[in-house]
Formats: sequence, structure tokens, C-alpha cells
Amino acid sequence: MSIPSISTQSLGQIGTGSFSKPPMQGADGPSFKDFLVDSIREVNTMQQDADRAMEGLFVGDDMNPAEVLTAVQKADMAFRMMMQIRNKLVAAYDEVKNIRV
Amino acid sequence: MLTNLFQSNEIPLLEQVVNFAQARQNVLAGNIANLDTPGYRTRDISPTEFQARLREAVEQSHRNPQNEMERAEMTHGGHFQAVKESLSGILRHDDCNVGLEQQIAEMSKNQLQHNLAVTLLTSQFQLLQAAISERA
Amino acid sequence: MFSALDISTSALVAQRTRLNAISSNLANMSTTRNEAGELAPYQPRFAVFQTDDAIQSPEGAVGVQVSSIEFATSEPLWKYQPGHPDAQQEGPKKGWVAYPDVNMVQESVDALEATRAYEANIGVIEVTKNLNQTTLRILA
Repeated sequence: MSIPSISTQSLGQIGTGSFSKPPMQGADGPSFKDFLVDSIREVNTMQQDADRAMEGLFVGDDMNPAEVLTAVQKADMAFRMMMQIRNKLVAAYDEVKNIRV
Repeated sequence: MLTNLFQSNEIPLLEQVVNFAQARQNVLAGNIANLDTPGYRTRDISPTEFQARLREAVEQSHRNPQNEMERAEMTHGGHFQAVKESLSGILRHDDCNVGLEQQIAEMSKNQLQHNLAVTLLTSQFQLLQAAISERA
Repeated sequence: MFSALDISTSALVAQRTRLNAISSNLANMSTTRNEAGELAPYQPRFAVFQTDDAIQSPEGAVGVQVSSIEFATSEPLWKYQPGHPDAQQEGPKKGWVAYPDVNMVQESVDALEATRAYEANIGVIEVTKNLNQTTLRILA
């Protein structure tokens, strides 16, 4: 069973890629939306992998409980991380929304 | 919608595992209590049978995920309801009289399985809680 | 999932059987007749162990089982007790009584060893259970 790792590499792209350039010309790097959707998909995949591992553990497949618990915990962390990013984004959006021009 | 909340994850499965562990604990406790009873035949709820039924239910839920309507009709349990109902049917009487050691070992294994399932169940609920309250 | 527990349990059962054989030997160290009341000294018995493939972990660890209970084939211990009702009535051994060839010291040491082996396996079971409980702390 492979346990996907939480990659911080894609997070770095926020600073170096799409954000540092003016939005009009930043067509070469991955867009921020793509990054967001990909991250959510990744978190979902991790959750599903953890779920499959859990099922395997209880229907009698030869599995190590430690492996399964680690997969579950990683998926949990990834989810919480994703949620915090989303919370910060919503907060940032609110702040931008309240700027008077 | 609300039943859906508890169907799209592993909560039904873990629920059945905890149920099974508790039922089996009762049976094993009865065995140990009757260790010196003349003519007593060891009873057990077969864990392999339970696992087979659980596997069936899991595969079924993978093949055809229930749609919203079906889910609403069932109070709870869904595919795993069958596992629960079958629990009472797989009680078997063992003719060979197994000793105290085996009974205690089975009990320990049962306890570990139970604790594992409860821990995972707790984490599943915490995950839902986090998603609902939007707080990590 | 928890095959280590099964392996340790098989050892508990085997050691208990061995201890039973030893207590039987010590209890019958002066028995001169068999269960039918006929003149035949008690035969010391030994539990013979063998690995048990039925109890196996995926890593290749195997359990143990009692393959058979073997009887000692050694000569009885002869004691000269002419007044004993079970003494030989005629022949060259006239007046001698056949006693089981039970070595008390050896049996006592064996009993101690079986007890220690039992304790060791209980210790292993405890460690296994602790290990499994500790694993749950991954999900703190």
C-alpha cells in the first residue's frame, strides 16, 4: 500500500509562480485555480486511500494496523491543512471585498 | 441528506466491527465463566464468517453506491444492515473443548480489534466535526 | 491480524501440557500398578513438541503444538522389599518390587523450566498487547 505524502512543493508555487506575475501575462505556469482544484483532489484521494486501507484491515486482508493508522492520520492532516488554506483564502477575500475604492 | 452524511465514509463499517466485537466479548465471557461446567460446549461467533460478510457488504457498496432516495428510505446501516442482522445467525457451538488460554487470547484479540475500530471511528467523527465547524 | 498472540498462546498450551505430564510423573513416582490394578509400574510420560504450520504469521513465524505424549522405555527401578504385596513372587527377582523410573530432581527442574517458559510467553503476550495499544496513539 502506498501512502501519498503531503507535498509542500506545490505550495511553493503560490509565491514563485502565478502570484509573483501580473495576472494578465501569467499563462505559462499552472493557474491558481488549477492548483486549488488539484490540492483538493489530492486530499480527496488520500482520504479514499485511507478508507480502502481501513476496509482492508477489517475484512481480513493482510495489513499492518500501524500502516493503516498512519494513512488515516496523514489524510486527516492533509484535510485540515486544506481547510486552513481555504479559511485563510476566505478571510483574504473578505478583506479585499471591504477595501473602498 | 443527513443519512448521507454517515454513509459516504467508513462509519457504517466501523460501527459493525464494534458491534461484532461487543457481541463476541459477551460470548467469550460466557465461555470463561463456564470453564468448569460439566458438559458445556464452547460457543463462539466466527470472526472469519463475519469478515466474509463484511467483505461482501463492502464490495456491494463499491459496486452500486446507493442513490439518495434509497438511502433516505433506510433508517441507517444501508449495505451494512445485512451484516448486523447476520450476527445472530453465526453463533456456533464448538465440539472440541478449547482451553482457558485460547479463550483469553481470543478475548485479547477481540479487545484489540475493538479498540482499533473505536479509535478509527473517533477519528472519522472528528473529521466530520472539523468539516462542519470549519475549524481544524 | 494478530497472529503473534496465537503463536504465544500455542506455546502456553504446549507448556501447560508438558507441566501436566511432569506432575503426572511426580504423582506416580511410587505407582506399581496400572489403571486396571494389574502389576505394572507406571511409565513416565513426556510431551513431545513440534512446530505447527496451522498457526503461522505472514512473516513466517510458526506456533508450536504437542505432537504426541511418549512413554519412557527405560527399565523400572528395582527395590528389594520382600514384604511388599507387589514384590516378585518367583524368579531371579524374587522379593524385588518394580518402581517407575522417575527422577525427582530432573522432573522438578523440568517443571521449573516449563513454568519459566510459560511466564516468558505471558510476557510476550503482554508486550504484543502493549504494542498494539501504542499503535493507536498514531491517531492522537
